[in-house]
Amino acid sequence: MSFNFSRFLSTALAQLRMTFRRRITLFWSLVFPMILMTLLGLLFGRSVNAGDIVIAQPVTAAAPKAMVAALEQTKGLTVKTSSDAATAIKKVKDGDEDAALVFTQRPDGSYAAKLYTSNTSATQAGILKGIVFGAADRVSIAATGGPPALRFQALSVDSASLSYIDFLLPGIVALSIMISAVIGLSTVLVDWRQRGILRRLKLTPIPLAEFFAARIAASLVVAVMQVVVLLAFGRFVFGIHISSTAWAAIPVALAGCLCFLAMGFTIGSMVSNPETGDAVSNVVTNPMMFLSGVFFPVAAMPAFVQSIARVLPLYYLANGLRDTTVRGLPLTHVAGDIGVLLAATAVLAAVSLRMFRWEPST
Amino acid sequence: MEGSAAIEVEGLTKRYGSHVAVDGVSFSVKRGEAFGILGPNGAGKTTTLEMIEGLRRPDSGEITVLGENVWPDPRRIQSRIGVQLQTTSLFDMLTAQELLELFARFYLRADASEQARKALAQVGLEAKGGDYAKNLSGGQQQRLAIALALVHDPEVVFLDEPTTGLDPQARRNLWDVIRSINQEHGKTVVLTTHYLEEAEELCERVAIMDEARIVALDTPAGLIDRLDADARVSYTDSTGDHAVYVRDAQATVLEVLEAARANGETVHNLAVKGADLEDVFLSLTGREYRE
Repeated sequence: MSFNFSRFLSTALAQLRMTFRRRITLFWSLVFPMILMTLLGLLFGRSVNAGDIVIAQPVTAAAPKAMVAALEQTKGLTVKTSSDAATAIKKVKDGDEDAALVFTQRPDGSYAAKLYTSNTSATQAGILKGIVFGAADRVSIAATGGPPALRFQALSVDSASLSYIDFLLPGIVALSIMISAVIGLSTVLVDWRQRGILRRLKLTPIPLAEFFAARIAASLVVAVMQVVVLLAFGRFVFGIHISSTAWAAIPVALAGCLCFLAMGFTIGSMVSNPETGDAVSNVVTNPMMFLSGVFFPVAAMPAFVQSIARVLPLYYLANGLRDTTVRGLPLTHVAGDIGVLLAATAVLAAVSLRMFRWEPST
Repeated sequence: MEGSAAIEVEGLTKRYGSHVAVDGVSFSVKRGEAFGILGPNGAGKTTTLEMIEGLRRPDSGEITVLGENVWPDPRRIQSRIGVQLQTTSLFDMLTAQELLELFARFYLRADASEQARKALAQVGLEAKGGDYAKNLSGGQQQRLAIALALVHDPEVVFLDEPTTGLDPQARRNLWDVIRSINQEHGKTVVLTTHYLEEAEELCERVAIMDEARIVALDTPAGLIDRLDADARVSYTDSTGDHAVYVRDAQATVLEVLEAARANGETVHNLAVKGADLEDVFLSLTGREYRE
């Protein structure tokens, strides 16, 4: 009646076998992310310009100059100049340029960097905002001691000097982990309950907890595989530089996978038939996909959207994966992301266990 | 323990709201016996069986299986009983052999693959070990479900309507399997069925259930004996359909025919048939048996 490790292992292996034999699962876990990555890569990839930015002259002080220099080094970004702020902003309004950067001196001697973008190309604006935020951040950090040499309205450091494809890869990994875990577990749970498989299990000595632990273990193996395969895909197909800290993405991925499994288990416990399960899974995952900084930086989004992102687990998963795989940040830096994901896991697991049912509703 | 009952059920009752599904059912099953619960759909057979298996908690009553109380902790008898549920669907993406091995491991059997092979052989599916369950025919799937009930070598096997939905040929093949489980492997078998013929064919004793109660319990022959008739004579004349249960079929047929000749009547559909469980059901409930 209690946990047995060798039984757990055989059960997990059987679950893995089932997962790999189901082609549709493999499609969503690995093939679909690769297709998505390739499509977005072709649309916004390295070869395509991140955009044109026009900088209002004159730029004289050290900090703004350093920032312009940083922007000039950014791959895919074309830096232009204009005689004054009004001309620069008009060029953006007219659609001639994607963004205008204006420096103004503040009363305390520091500088404010204001970025003007047009809503007509939101994605481009998002990418540019990300790049400029990053440049401002680096300049601020470089200036040691005293008040910050440069102030930017937002505090985010999203996509510091990352090209779009670098930014995108970890987001796609996060997305694929979420889809596999939420859709995967909610679908099988509903299916097993509806077809009486759970009742049949109840008649055998394996405890439910052990059975689902085996299922979870199988899903975690799939998640690690997704990280490795998709990073390798990014590395070899898109030549993305993977940081030496990328191994730290594994604990982030595991925490994220646990969280989304708990979400899938909750959905599977809530609904009675596969159709409703699919609908609920989509309702939950689709908005998260677009609000969590998977495809473009959260910092580029309106403030209220940013605050929504902060409560979505996918945001922390994407962030943690990005920090470790392409930004070269260590595990300690993403401990907070892992903590949030595990806390969300605990809450969702508690909710789902309350709603769990062995039998289909009649 | 030798010689004691495999199953003892006393005053078993289950209600769903105001509907009484099982109403004060009592019976006992001997070790090594093949015991049948026969009745039309909705009679309460499955609910009774599932309470004994430990899937549904009875509202009242006592159930002892192999000397152990099933409730409140049905896990105590779990590894000594094998169950085939009425609807068994299984993990799609495992082969029959893998599925049986997995279930054997659930019971912590070290020799899981050996047990799985044995169970496949017991139900005559040796050749199908490498096939996915979903690719098996209906009869083969049903046999696989029975193999799953046997894989941990239980003492008592419960089969809930094992042949429902099968064609006559597949049904007869499955009867052979069930008979060998009981006779060659010496397992106590409890099965439910709504096929009269199946109960007569397979079971040493049959409990007839109707509307949540057991209305009769005896050997098939004993049940028919109680009718106090050997045969059923039926015919149609100008006044309608008639059926009578009689001791002496020959005399009755002559009587009917002579009366018809005397009255200038014509008799149609004259039939004489040995009394069977269908007649028992009719005499006990006053209703025709409908499967």
